[in-house]
Amino acid sequence: MSSPATTAPETARPPETRRPPRIPLWANPRLGLVVLLVALVVLFTALRPAFLDTTLTLVPLQSDISVYAVVGLAQLAVLSLGHMNMAVGSMASMSAFAMGLAYDRLGVPLPVGLVIGLAAGALLGALAGLIISRTGVNSFVVTLAMDFALVGLITILYTRFTDGVAFSGQPAGMTTLRNDTFADYCMGEVCGPRIPLIAPIALVAALAVGLLFRYGRLGREILMTGANEKAAELSGIPTKRRVLQAHALSGLLAGLAGFLLAANNGAFSASIGDQFLLPSFLGPVLGGTLLAGGAVSVLGTVLGATLTQVIYKGLNLLQFQLDELKLYIGLVLLVALSLDRIRHVIGERRGARA
Amino acid sequence: MIKRPFVRAAGMAALVVTLALAGCTKKSDDTTAGPATRTPGQVKIALVPGGAHPYFQPWKEAGATAKTQLGLGDVTYNETSDWDQTKQNDVLKSLAAQGYNAFGVFGVSPENINATFDDLKRQGFPVASLGSCPAGDADKADFCLSTDVEQAAYKAAQAAIQAMGGSGNLVHLTGNKVDSNTQRRIAGVQKAVDETGGKVKLLQTVTDVDKDLQSAQKAVADLLAAKGTQIQAIVNTAYNPAVASADGVKQAKLPIKVIAIDDDQTILAGIRDGSVAGTVLQNPVGQASVGSYALMKLAGGCTMTTPGVVVDSGSFVVTKADVDTYDADRQAKTEELRKAFDSQYLTCK
Repeated sequence: MSSPATTAPETARPPETRRPPRIPLWANPRLGLVVLLVALVVLFTALRPAFLDTTLTLVPLQSDISVYAVVGLAQLAVLSLGHMNMAVGSMASMSAFAMGLAYDRLGVPLPVGLVIGLAAGALLGALAGLIISRTGVNSFVVTLAMDFALVGLITILYTRFTDGVAFSGQPAGMTTLRNDTFADYCMGEVCGPRIPLIAPIALVAALAVGLLFRYGRLGREILMTGANEKAAELSGIPTKRRVLQAHALSGLLAGLAGFLLAANNGAFSASIGDQFLLPSFLGPVLGGTLLAGGAVSVLGTVLGATLTQVIYKGLNLLQFQLDELKLYIGLVLLVALSLDRIRHVIGERRGARA
Repeated sequence: MIKRPFVRAAGMAALVVTLALAGCTKKSDDTTAGPATRTPGQVKIALVPGGAHPYFQPWKEAGATAKTQLGLGDVTYNETSDWDQTKQNDVLKSLAAQGYNAFGVFGVSPENINATFDDLKRQGFPVASLGSCPAGDADKADFCLSTDVEQAAYKAAQAAIQAMGGSGNLVHLTGNKVDSNTQRRIAGVQKAVDETGGKVKLLQTVTDVDKDLQSAQKAVADLLAAKGTQIQAIVNTAYNPAVASADGVKQAKLPIKVIAIDDDQTILAGIRDGSVAGTVLQNPVGQASVGSYALMKLAGGCTMTTPGVVVDSGSFVVTKADVDTYDADRQAKTEELRKAFDSQYLTCK
């Protein structure tokens, strides 16, 4: 819209002056999540001191958070485009199948099987991305169809390659990964903290995705494609390829989540990924990732996944019945999201006035 | 410029990992707490089914009875696992954090449940696998007290074959296909069909119809519409399809013999009015009450003679002839199980 005469001086100016007024610190959704998280931990601990029991509560909690943070990241990878991946669960399941097959039949060591599984996940994601970018069909429809197909395929594959529903063979180190914390490893007298061994894997994934979207050219271009595909295309970004890559990343992360869950639960089975879909959206959305695309928050996703798991664990400790548990998780999340939104809106208004 | 943070981060990470791994030794595995001896009053048992299902409802009452009869500290029943192994692991750990120290568990996923049992055993808690055994040959729980599902399915199929007069077409309705128990049930029915030497044909095995009653009803309606006239008998090895097929056959007025499972009121009424030829009963009450008893003994210092032993909690074919007296059989079986634990399975000092 603007004429060249007006755009020229603007581009010459330092970019800081063109930014909208900053949202004050207290209105930052991530900070809100942290405050809420601390409040909930204090509340649950006051009601049930067992909440701070290391071996029975805190260590399993960290394992669960690790899995669901990565599940959230898998969805975040395509939310960056404004797309959805309805097949996160079945992609995780297919990856877990590939890993299980590699360990059981080929007897490969742990890292090799992991790479095979991640490659399987990335390929499935890339396939979804390819269909979406080539046909222009909505990502929701494509991945939903893919999910249906994969759920069937998984059942067929498991009945053909296993005697039931899970691989009995497991690589060396799998049990260690599940049971041990860093406290089991000592350097002289100094032992590590009580953090399960799978937590750093999730942490590395989160850091890598964060760095990719913040500093990586690929990540920035994916975000630009998500913000405005036409504009990105006109700026010379190969948008079709970026769509494919974002979906491949989503598949890869789904595969990683499948691996982490298999490590946690102790088997590569067909049920992996069954419960991934809803949490995959919860983490990113709670953390401030836009469903419309163009903006992501990795830290927020991790915090969102943490919040959900803390709520779940807390209510569990308070021995809520199944129906109540679901009701209260829904309510707590609704309140958390509304508070977050209110704070955000007030913050923006104040910011605009400043 | 753009790639540098990656390189820097990766370098830092590699450095940290190398430093951490250098000179790091694993502490000897001394976390396994020796099982503490507890008096019945100190034993707090948690009965944890895989999720909400009518089959487990008798556990609640049997648990409460065991609490008063045995003078236990507490017996709780928690069905919040919601058919998700991850959630069930969470539920179990939460219960342990609250002081429950003996567990009777119906594992959501028979393939993964050994890992869960291992976790609980490492904390020194006695664990019983109730209602379902882990898949494969190993059982990491102290014992498994469950219906031998293959045997029960075999009995049910035999009853169906008998009801249909020894020849014709049979249909098998069952639960989740990707569940090793379902695979065992399919094997049990197949075995009974094979024994007829070709006189009975297994027309179809319909899986995944035990999610809820609606989906079971739909599946039965579709089945009867498509093949109703060719079928002589339906054998059910899951609860929801049993209720649905008893109803469906009655409404369609087809001469199909239905063998159901469990003793829901609808099914018992069906047996009385003749629309259901028979039903195969399991023994959930026995699982919960004998399971609680054995857990108490284990907490009190007894050990299993054979750790991980599999005990059949019994299955009974009930027809119109014994529909009013079957509970006596079941109670007798339960009492027999308790005695077997005392004399055979448990070693007490």
